[in-house]
Amino acid sequence: MKISTLEYFIREVFNSLKRNNWMSVASIGTVAVSLFIFGMFLMLVMNMNKMVESLESQVQIKVYLEEDFSRDDARDLEVDLKKMQGVESVTFVPKEEAMEKFKERLGDQKTLLEALDETNPLPDSFEVTLVQPEMVKTAAENIERLEGVEMAKYGQDVMEHLFDITRLIRIFGFALMFVLALATLFIIANTIRLTVFARRKEIAIMKYVGATDWFIRWPFVLEGMVMGLLGSLIASVILRFSYAGITAKIYNTLAFLPLIPEYPFLNYVTLVVIIGGMIMGAIGSAVSIKRFLKV
Amino acid sequence: MIHMNDVMKVYDNGAVALNHVNVDIKKGEFVFLVGPSGAGKSTFIKMLFREVLPSSGILTVNGRDVIRMPNREVPYLRRSLGVIFQDYRLLPDKTVYENIAFAMQVIEAPRRMMQRNVNNVLDIVGLRDKYKCFPNQLSGGEQQRVAIARAIVNSPAIVIADEPTGNLDPDTSWGIMDIFKSINASGTTIVMATHDKTIVDAMQKRVIAIENGEIVRDEARGGYGYEN
Ligand SMILES: Nc1ncnc2c1ncn2[C@@H]1O[C@H](COP(=O)(O)OP(=O)(O)OP(=O)(O)O)[C@@H](O)[C@H]1O
Ligand SMILES: [Mg+2]
Repeated sequence: MKISTLEYFIREVFNSLKRNNWMSVASIGTVAVSLFIFGMFLMLVMNMNKMVESLESQVQIKVYLEEDFSRDDARDLEVDLKKMQGVESVTFVPKEEAMEKFKERLGDQKTLLEALDETNPLPDSFEVTLVQPEMVKTAAENIERLEGVEMAKYGQDVMEHLFDITRLIRIFGFALMFVLALATLFIIANTIRLTVFARRKEIAIMKYVGATDWFIRWPFVLEGMVMGLLGSLIASVILRFSYAGITAKIYNTLAFLPLIPEYPFLNYVTLVVIIGGMIMGAIGSAVSIKRFLKV
Repeated sequence: MIHMNDVMKVYDNGAVALNHVNVDIKKGEFVFLVGPSGAGKSTFIKMLFREVLPSSGILTVNGRDVIRMPNREVPYLRRSLGVIFQDYRLLPDKTVYENIAFAMQVIEAPRRMMQRNVNNVLDIVGLRDKYKCFPNQLSGGEQQRVAIARAIVNSPAIVIADEPTGNLDPDTSWGIMDIFKSINASGTTIVMATHDKTIVDAMQKRVIAIENGEIVRDEARGGYGYEN
């Protein structure tokens, strides 16, 4: 592309933005709002993912052994468990250790145990973690069927619900982000359509004197990209401040929530919003000029 | 230059605008297209720069097969042609100079040629001192002269005009025709559709008469042939 052509394009873009002054401002504002909401949901979904991951990594199955199961047999069972599909790790917890932990947890109320009179009613057990936490239900069922296993427990109800809810939020979040991306595209397409329409005579003349379609298209595509860029810059600035503010609040009140730290996370989000805005702008204007090129 | 062999044009609505047309126009010719309203003159003209695609036949313009040409080559066909319309089609927010330079800009002509070529064609159409004016500050004849300047600024081999004097009074029309004559004298082929009996009769150039989409007369030196 020639320098003079590039100059021409840039001049066209800024003339056009100036000419449609209020229209441009209004659509850049609208684009900013929709990209802001887009960014918020992006951050929400990514944080949800992170939380779910950290919860999932804590999912483990407690495998309690039958009382008369010998330690030798338990060692064989450990080997079998490790061989099971989808099992990540297996840790043996002898009943003495389980008792210690139990005592610790009781703390002041240790005296309750005196009734037991030094006998240990707790069984030997294994702690099993899985590669895919979603498989916890089937894995637990399979383990329960093994010889010497009294029962295999995990936070059944809680986990099932958690998976349902996170799946729902992910789907809803992505659907909403998709819709917002489309909305951005539509807003820009609509504005560009107006400028294209206002300049249809010029476009027709360009075609008559032999301008190529791409030469005609470029200034409009650039204009759309500039609108997307300006809108996304505004959105990004607000997003950065909002996230910083929200995370600070959450750290103060709900410190245990594993939020994604601001950096470099915010840089990625900004990048996605800006690139997304520009792409939507380019596609939007390319779509709206298509009809006017048929001369 | 222009070669039509058994060209047909049937519009989507079934209107037959051109029917078995055979024409050969050579380099440097000056050709008038005449005929009653609705005869197919504009269709003929529009086919030359492929605003309208012929339905069948063979059409070559400047050695290019207009019918089988892929869309992406159409701009290059048009760069070898200069097109002029009855309604001038100037850009109202650009000056005379800018309107003409625009035609060079959008085909990415070298910038150093721009000023020279524009001034050159401004001289040809006699509007050098009005180069800063906007179209609404010009008379109809002057506007048409700007349109002609724009059409010839890229030195096309053929100039195509559809009723260029249709909106102008007789004196002004003659001014336009003088410009066409001088363009033609420098070797440019001119094809012009017109209803102007006086001009066609006086010029004694090649006349192609079309009626109901068919060529009914093709004389090397002829008159208008209809009572106006
Ligand atoms: N876009 C179109 N769609 C359908 N029919 C058309 C179209 N353009 C022209 N026609 C028809 O084709 C025929 C030729 O039209 P054309 O415009 O070529 O005539 P013309 O000789 O230029 O007439 P005039 O002297 O009035 O300008 C007419 O019957 C017209 O109705
Ligand atoms: Mg006509």
